[in-house]
Amino acid sequence: MNLIPLIVILSMTIPAFALADYEPPRTADGKPDFTGVWQVLNTANDSLEAHTGRAAQVMREGPVVPVPSKELVALGAVGAVPPSLGVVEGDEIPYKPEALAKREENRKNWITADPEVHCYLPGIPRATYMPHPFQIAHNKDALMFSYSYAGAVRNVALSDPGPAPIDSWMGLSWAHWEGDTLVIETNGMHDQTWLDRSGNYHSDKLKVIERYTRTSEHTIDYSATLEDGDVFTRPWTITMPLYKRVGADAQMLRFSCVEYVEEMMYGHLRKERLD
Amino acid sequence: MRRLLLISLALIAPSTAMAAQWEVSRMPWGDPDMQGIWTSATITTLDRPDGLEGLVLTEEQARVLEQNGEDVLESIDDIPEGDLEAGENVGGYNAAWLEPGTRVLRVNGEPRSSIIVDPENGHVPYTLWGRGRFYWHVYTFIARHDNPEERPLGERCTVGFGSTGGPPMLPVLYNNNYQFVQTEDVILILVEMNHDVRTVRMVGKPLPKAVRPWLGDSLGHWEGDTLVVRTTGFHLQQNLRAAIKHQFYMTEDSVVEERFTRTSKGELLYQFSVTDESIYTQTWRGEMTLRSSEGPIYEYACHEGNYALKNILAGARQEEKE
Repeated sequence: MNLIPLIVILSMTIPAFALADYEPPRTADGKPDFTGVWQVLNTANDSLEAHTGRAAQVMREGPVVPVPSKELVALGAVGAVPPSLGVVEGDEIPYKPEALAKREENRKNWITADPEVHCYLPGIPRATYMPHPFQIAHNKDALMFSYSYAGAVRNVALSDPGPAPIDSWMGLSWAHWEGDTLVIETNGMHDQTWLDRSGNYHSDKLKVIERYTRTSEHTIDYSATLEDGDVFTRPWTITMPLYKRVGADAQMLRFSCVEYVEEMMYGHLRKERLD
Repeated sequence: MRRLLLISLALIAPSTAMAAQWEVSRMPWGDPDMQGIWTSATITTLDRPDGLEGLVLTEEQARVLEQNGEDVLESIDDIPEGDLEAGENVGGYNAAWLEPGTRVLRVNGEPRSSIIVDPENGHVPYTLWGRGRFYWHVYTFIARHDNPEERPLGERCTVGFGSTGGPPMLPVLYNNNYQFVQTEDVILILVEMNHDVRTVRMVGKPLPKAVRPWLGDSLGHWEGDTLVVRTTGFHLQQNLRAAIKHQFYMTEDSVVEERFTRTSKGELLYQFSVTDESIYTQTWRGEMTLRSSEGPIYEYACHEGNYALKNILAGARQEEKE
């Protein structure tokens, strides 16, 4: 038997694994240990795509240059959107033409239409890159993601549970391992969640494949591939590092925003309306 | 004949002995394995109902209560045919949506008349002031519709109904499931209603007093094979715990201690105490058995489809106009 082809193949695959000459801590069953509190250090939630800074999430025409929409003027610099290189491989999300028009419409109506403004559950993958931490707890029998934002949660199955019995906000997720990479497939999400504050969205056909690989004591390489034939011309992928919170920060407080939106959602129904 | 009997006994003995010697399975680092999905559904209520005396019921009493529970559940779907007149009560959920339990709570095999075991009368031991606060909040719950913040927490979707997320975690009318996921440093308890995760920290110190999460701030430790969780720092609004199956009052300064002990493959003994000198004459205690439940737990989204709160407030505004 000629071993040369095998050696060639092996030598070709090694770099991918060796990228990780980092040896992660492992759980008792030998899998990389993702336990801990993690968070992105980016502004993907503002917009997945590369963008220059702007004065507000929603702008209107000004006499010289665009200015913040009326509702956002009072926020000043706090409401401004910082620039970002984006997290989309290939820079642009491959929308179908009619779907792109819907994205633009969403973007204009951000203040009333973004589910985040209403503290609705974020869906996958947006839960990952909300500007809030999340906690992973896992072992050979269980895998749970507990998110700070809206107290969202994902109890991830460890074998394929089959089709989701009903669509939901966070979908139905199941995990398997490809070497030291944790791969999570999620489907069964309805079309009510968005992908960011810039109106990027999906339909209820969305399937997300996430890949988590530990690359250092404090980082995870994260990617998510989104497939949705109703909205996109092809599957597309976002990539970003996740960072581990350490020391006193390695603790997650919940951002329980339901109570924070009551005035916005129900204020008009008070007996004595506030001005 | 005698020989046959001896052989039979010998055959029975090992299984009985095995049950007695049941060993808790352990996580790789040695702590007892509490993982899995557990249900607290039972027809037994927190307080002892009128007409029942003593904590432990006879099997006959238990059978009657279980039959009553079954009858009530059946009667829910017993609705008249045809359209109702305008303004008639349309009722609530069909029985299929409910999970009020079918059995009386049994702890160590004993059928129980209440979850409360101490005081002996099976009732929350309020001081006069505490009882007044309790009734004031119940009045608000029933009568006040002026502002969203006056409505009960379950209606606002800030947490689940009553004390389902607790602590103490008590059974309600439906969705009584909990999932435990363990690591050495933290134990996550997913409370089905409303997808709330209790984060029990096994290391660290209490949060600063200014930080008051819903479901409080829980710190855990092991006493032998029992998980002991002490919760303080409750949210200022998490005071009235009112649901169809229990109603009681706590304050933001109440202290809850929970003790979880795995007693068999399918059962977890859940004991708790609630201490608050400002409203109770004594620390009160409860006991339950959590039973292993089939998973998975599906999403319980509440706020996202909360038509109830909007309609209750809108209805009250409409009534004022009429």
